[in-house]
Amino acid sequence: MKKLVVLFLTLFVFNALAENTNVYFCKQEFSKLPILQGGRVKPLYVHSKEMMKYLTGKTELEGLSSTLAYCLLSLEGLGISNSLNINIRVDHSESRALLELGEEKTIKVTELVDKKDLIRAQMSKATPDSSYQKSLKKLLNKVSLYSNIVSSQNWLLPELNNNEISWVPLSAFLRESKILEAKKTSINPFQVVIQESANHFDKVNPKSSYKLEYKYAKANLPIWSMLVSLAALLFLTLFKKFKVALGLGLITVVIQAIHIAMRVMISGRAPITNMYETVMFSGFGALILAIIIGHYKKEKVFIYIGLAYNVCTLMMMNFAGSMLSPNISPLVPVLRDNFWLSTHVTTIILSYGALALSWVLGNSILIKGRFNSLSSADEKYYSDLIYTCLKYGTIMLGAGIVLGGIWADYSWGRFWGWDPKETWSLIVLCIYIAILHGRYTNWIPPKRFIPLVTASFMSVMMAWFGVNYILAAGLHSYGFSEGGAIFLGSFFLIQILVLVFTWKPVKNNREPKNV
Amino acid sequence: MQNTKESKLITILNKIENTLGGLKCAVTLILIFTVGMVVGTFFESYYGTEFAGKTIYKTWWFMSIQGLMFLSIVFATFRRLPPKKRLYGFYTIHLGLILIGCGSFVTYYAGVDGSILLQPNTPAREIILPQDVLKIEIPDEGRVVTYRLPNSAFKTSLDEIYKDIKLVDFLPYAEKKFQWQDSKNSYSEKEPLHSSEYLISNDNVSQQFLVSLHPESIEYEGNVTLGPLTIHYLPNGLAKCFAFNNKSKLILWDRESVTCNTPEEINVPVKVTKTGSRFLVIEKDGGYLSFFPDASPWPMDEKLNMNQQSSIRVFSKKLFEDKPNLFLFGEKIAFYDKDEQKWEVREFNSSTTKLDLPWMGFELSLLQHQEKKVPINIPVPTWPIQKNNQLIKGNLKAVSLEVKGKNYWLTNERAMTLLIAGKKMNFILAKDSLVLPFEFVLTRFKMDKDPGTNSPASYESFVRLFTEDGPSDHHIYMNNPLKHEGFTFYQASYSQDRQGNYSSTLSANVDQGRAIKYLGSLLLFIGSLLHYHLNFRTARKDNVSPLINNLES
Repeated sequence: MKKLVVLFLTLFVFNALAENTNVYFCKQEFSKLPILQGGRVKPLYVHSKEMMKYLTGKTELEGLSSTLAYCLLSLEGLGISNSLNINIRVDHSESRALLELGEEKTIKVTELVDKKDLIRAQMSKATPDSSYQKSLKKLLNKVSLYSNIVSSQNWLLPELNNNEISWVPLSAFLRESKILEAKKTSINPFQVVIQESANHFDKVNPKSSYKLEYKYAKANLPIWSMLVSLAALLFLTLFKKFKVALGLGLITVVIQAIHIAMRVMISGRAPITNMYETVMFSGFGALILAIIIGHYKKEKVFIYIGLAYNVCTLMMMNFAGSMLSPNISPLVPVLRDNFWLSTHVTTIILSYGALALSWVLGNSILIKGRFNSLSSADEKYYSDLIYTCLKYGTIMLGAGIVLGGIWADYSWGRFWGWDPKETWSLIVLCIYIAILHGRYTNWIPPKRFIPLVTASFMSVMMAWFGVNYILAAGLHSYGFSEGGAIFLGSFFLIQILVLVFTWKPVKNNREPKNV
Repeated sequence: MQNTKESKLITILNKIENTLGGLKCAVTLILIFTVGMVVGTFFESYYGTEFAGKTIYKTWWFMSIQGLMFLSIVFATFRRLPPKKRLYGFYTIHLGLILIGCGSFVTYYAGVDGSILLQPNTPAREIILPQDVLKIEIPDEGRVVTYRLPNSAFKTSLDEIYKDIKLVDFLPYAEKKFQWQDSKNSYSEKEPLHSSEYLISNDNVSQQFLVSLHPESIEYEGNVTLGPLTIHYLPNGLAKCFAFNNKSKLILWDRESVTCNTPEEINVPVKVTKTGSRFLVIEKDGGYLSFFPDASPWPMDEKLNMNQQSSIRVFSKKLFEDKPNLFLFGEKIAFYDKDEQKWEVREFNSSTTKLDLPWMGFELSLLQHQEKKVPINIPVPTWPIQKNNQLIKGNLKAVSLEVKGKNYWLTNERAMTLLIAGKKMNFILAKDSLVLPFEFVLTRFKMDKDPGTNSPASYESFVRLFTEDGPSDHHIYMNNPLKHEGFTFYQASYSQDRQGNYSSTLSANVDQGRAIKYLGSLLLFIGSLLHYHLNFRTARKDNVSPLINNLES
């Protein structure tokens, strides 16, 4: 909750400190300028935010917005100095010892630049792929990014040459002739020249989506949808107002649909190409699925599980940090096929969403059963509801795997290749199929069905996150990012604890009952 | 009698059908299959894709489980005959699975899955397959014998005999282990066979290197280049002649007698031609050998042809004075000292273990010296390690051979030639290949990058196909394969040489089971929908305690 309050503050309170620093000709309006970085054109707002976040972990610097801070830093290359202090976090204890930080957890970037050679020498000596080496590598990456920015090489501006746009670094862009020309008409020639670059770009690329991306980035839709979804869940569970909850649930569906649609328009592809997007899509899809099933089954519990899972995914999107990066980056060539992406991947992710519904319901029943004992009618009824979720989950998972096979056959010439991601999705399917078959034997009585289904969701998490974060190999390794192994480990631990905590022995019916 | 036997057989068959087609058997098989896959994915991530295939996915036992699952599905379907309407979905799902199983078997049995490397403007028609083979080429007979190596992940004994050759062991994953071995052949006493290992170092860098004169040493040779420094390893008999600071700076070396001297010693005058080149003439076995030592160590015969067979050679030390050249002779070393303007010869002994070199503060130490033994790297079995989709350990494959009581190692790094019963035989350890009935040329390779970056956005091959009907041009890129004569070619990867020319790798594929698998997949999907549709029912909600109490509607 504390984080939420902070979020509110940063969102709605204007920071007055900004007035105190001399920002020269840097202007907040520069946020809307286009920039080519990381293989695509985006608004400077998004780029500067990503860069400042990467360098300092924060999107603001001493009261300055990321755009102003980025602009000021870029001016250093033109000989305009600033008083900004950039502190870089050093998390690894060995790296801290190397930099002689003592108790300090951060280091000034200028000091880090001086120690570049020391870090590089240590990095080549460190054990390959150790966490120490990775930490040093990250520091070096930050140093080189910082040097790139302060030498005015990072900020690329569009320049019109013979009706074609070429991207020129700030230092080369601000030519004297251009400034003098602008000075005739304006008292702020630098601003005019920089602002005009956007007009040039727009003339050549009228359909570029960077303006839309600016609106998208400003809208903070993940936070809004999380708040609405959370409110819906609270109305349902605490205030017991079903209709209000359903209404808010529908609103969050609409917000998320807008969010996804904007992302599709910006990136020009199906919204399921990295971990952030798959988490988002599974939560969105699962909520819609839950509303539809709930409507036809006339069962309000589906709205509850849909909202609960939706809130989980939105929390992850907003608070998982670098594990789920919201940045939009170009895709590897293999995945550039919208037809297959939007069929194969969506089907798989929707199936994970449906299985997640069974997981939420399973855990809820288990915890409820721990405090209030469940009658066998309860068990049977809720098992049936879980079975409904599994039904959708397994059909879509099976279909998704087959579609993946056809895609692989179509673009690599083989239906099945034992790639870890495809193998794990088959493992998930096999586990759920084994449970569905086992239900008809006396191996899985109704009492065991619910904990088994709940435990099986760990295989989904392994297929979804574990392959990328733990196995990290194979053709599908598009979503590798940090912190994933810790997240997954904690998930497994908590789930196992819940299972142990709610464990109840099955009464053996064959034993005499008069004990 | 006949009847009881038959009925007994039928009872047994029924029993098998009931057991294999039972639900418990199905669940057990699915779980074993699942555990196998889980282990497989971890193996894949540590030891590589191929290793996981060799230890799990493509092993007989894993295939047998799949076979049993297939039988289980078949029997489960039979047991539920004659058809009931309620089970229509069930039949369709299981029929779909049976078809997928059949299709996969057809692919496994008759399909081809390989790759073809297209180098720029070079015709290609050879598909490389995943199978390891040992090839024995007998050029005289124009024959090639191919032996398929077992699909194992660990050291496997082959016990195969072909003529005088015995195939002993196969090491699918190996690394090199250094060894000193005795010579296989016999040599005259005089012949220089020595090998030495040195360490060259200064404050910043150090480098170990091994040099050898032994004719059986394959990986270690007499010349090594370390950055700007060239190292020459020479017979130790030559060292004394480097010590002579004779005026001509020429050394005569007789390989047969293993002796050296200088023109001054044997009173051979060094003359100069009209064009200014130095030359000298030596009488040998009644003939004359003319040397132009500043151009070549080999002599010219009377017809001015170079004679590389000559046992006498003449070296001009002058040629090695400009750039850093280090001459090593085992325990002695020689180099030209530019400051002193003279040749120095130094020696390692019990009191001197390090010798200073005249370049950048480098020192040289002799680590070990062997007079007769062969330095050799023996393949030893290892566990492979995969990183970023590439094997970083265990890349070496090796087969040990026994020919007339002598042991040889053949590796995938280099082919080996042996003379057996008077016939030259080439041994090659490689991947199996398949020759296409048509030919390809890569005419152009196009690579698009994401704007402003170096990461590829797409790569495309333009190929020309030569068939009996004449040439035709095609364009192969991601998700746009080329189909020809049952083969399908897909853009797989690319590489770039130092000149910046791109080579393209296509995966080449024949899959006769494709249609069956697709049909099976379709049935599987339709069947699942049908199954749940036929079994649709609303759960009874009587006497159920709600999950969320007192919910207002």
